Amino acid sequence: MAMSTQEGGELEVVPVRHVGQWIGAFVVVVAIAMVVRTLFFSYIPTGLSTCVTTAGKQVCREQMKSRFPWQDVRDWFFSSEILHGVLLTLELTVIAMVIGIVLGVCVAIMRLSSNRLLSGPAWVYTWFFRGTPVYVQLFFWFNVGLLYPRFSLGLPFLPISFLSEPATIISGIYAAILGLGLNEAAYMAEIARAGIISVDEGQVEAATSLGMTKGQTLRLVVLPQAMRVIIPPTGNEVISMLKTTSLAASISVLELFGAAQNIYAGNYKIIGLIITASLWYLLMTTVLSIGQFYVERHFARGALRTQPKTPIQRLRQDFKTVRGYLGHAEVAS
Amino acid sequence: MTAMVEARGVTKGYGHITVLKGVDLVVAQGEVTCLIGPSGSGKSTFLRCINHLEKHDAGELRVEGELVGYRLRNGKLYEQSDKQICAERANIGMVFQRFNLFQHLTVLDNLTIGQMRVKGTKEEVAKQKARELLARVGLDAKEKNYPAQLSGGQQQRVAIARALAMEPRLMLFDEPTSALDPELVGEVLDVMRDLAKSGMTMIVVTHEMGFAREVANSVYFLDQGVIEESGPPADVLGNPRTERLRSFLSKVL
Repeated sequence: MAMSTQEGGELEVVPVRHVGQWIGAFVVVVAIAMVVRTLFFSYIPTGLSTCVTTAGKQVCREQMKSRFPWQDVRDWFFSSEILHGVLLTLELTVIAMVIGIVLGVCVAIMRLSSNRLLSGPAWVYTWFFRGTPVYVQLFFWFNVGLLYPRFSLGLPFLPISFLSEPATIISGIYAAILGLGLNEAAYMAEIARAGIISVDEGQVEAATSLGMTKGQTLRLVVLPQAMRVIIPPTGNEVISMLKTTSLAASISVLELFGAAQNIYAGNYKIIGLIITASLWYLLMTTVLSIGQFYVERHFARGALRTQPKTPIQRLRQDFKTVRGYLGHAEVAS
Repeated sequence: MTAMVEARGVTKGYGHITVLKGVDLVVAQGEVTCLIGPSGSGKSTFLRCINHLEKHDAGELRVEGELVGYRLRNGKLYEQSDKQICAERANIGMVFQRFNLFQHLTVLDNLTIGQMRVKGTKEEVAKQKARELLARVGLDAKEKNYPAQLSGGQQQRVAIARALAMEPRLMLFDEPTSALDPELVGEVLDVMRDLAKSGMTMIVVTHEMGFAREVANSVYFLDQGVIEESGPPADVLGNPRTERLRSFLSKVL
């Protein structure tokens, strides 16, 4: 590059050398190369050797295998055990989230009530379930039969009962649903409360002045607008829940990770199955993230003057722009 | 004929502060009444007491002869249930300083939601009514837009149409032009002027003295929770008797 000076002569411009950036980039490139090599181009001895006898001489060679057991991943990725695990993981996630969201919104509404008998217990609920580890809660629900040997349904304080079953009906799956759902409700309550508070007080006044009841105002005016604030963290909660369901493996639920553990307990292909489970988790969380984008976009309507474009719309726009340029070029020629 | 709104010694306080110290006011059917006064004088609070958005502490406040929030039966005052209060509110339209349109609904849905959910009007009928009202405020082309896509003046006109969709017998305006850019004030006042001409009973809290002078049947000047002066606009605005009103008018005119 050159720059002309007042004297008419041209002086060379020497750009600043960012030495630190170059060193940093070099270190990162080396690190990436190391990761790629160890993942795909690294081999370890299997402990077996093959021997070939040529011209009366026996030559033995140790057998090698890829360090990362990609073949195991290929073998098990679509196996029926793993696919069942994937399905169970999705079911657990959906059911626990539904319980969490419904109960969470109820707790949030109670918490915002001016009645202390409602807001107090709501606070205690959040305090308790947020304050104890979900892993511990799962074990509690799994063993709740020790406290209540019989599970019955009736009127409180009266000797009337409609249903009485041995508590063994609380199996691992029910314990997981109960534990994950109740725990999630505590977090969802805080998210929903933040969303409800974020809606302008004027919206409530306007709804009230139209003659809407408190319930109608909440349902038709406040909650739909609170959604814009509630959805993004709820998306995070769904993704987090999908991964947290793996804790249920410890209470003998054969969800994705439980299924993987069950398989490697038999064949010792531990790393291969851990990778298989991880890839499935990654795949599912990726799909959820994409879904989250569209849901957020839906509930943002009215809040922005123009809707954010979807990736497909953006691509189409780029395509149009390019075609526009080409069209101009043709006209010009 | 019973007055549309009748207040006798209405008081209201928040904690230690008394906002209204005995307000007397009468609004006849079809009349336009303007409430003027410095900020903090209790104008908005009084307006909000009329449709029970705020509960007054003492005094008599009647709308169409009926006590707001209470019913007199067998010599006893029965407090109304939330549901009854809601039903009464639906007959009183309210327009706010900051429009308060439902941000998540289109303009058309803003006008139909009250009709359908509160009055149980059929969707088709509600839409028909909404479109008529939008045409009346000159915004029939905007029915599919969201409030955030409209200017302040347009939003306030939609807010007026939304209140009118409930077919109210009384309209309350709480500083309807105070949040607007000066060049947008006119379009909102035009709509209000038309509404007054159509015979709607209106109570308007405003700083627009020109509007008060031209449209109002009577003007009330509130200061520190008390009605200081009241009467026809020509008298109150043209010939102020108290020093307080004189100094107030000199500041706003």
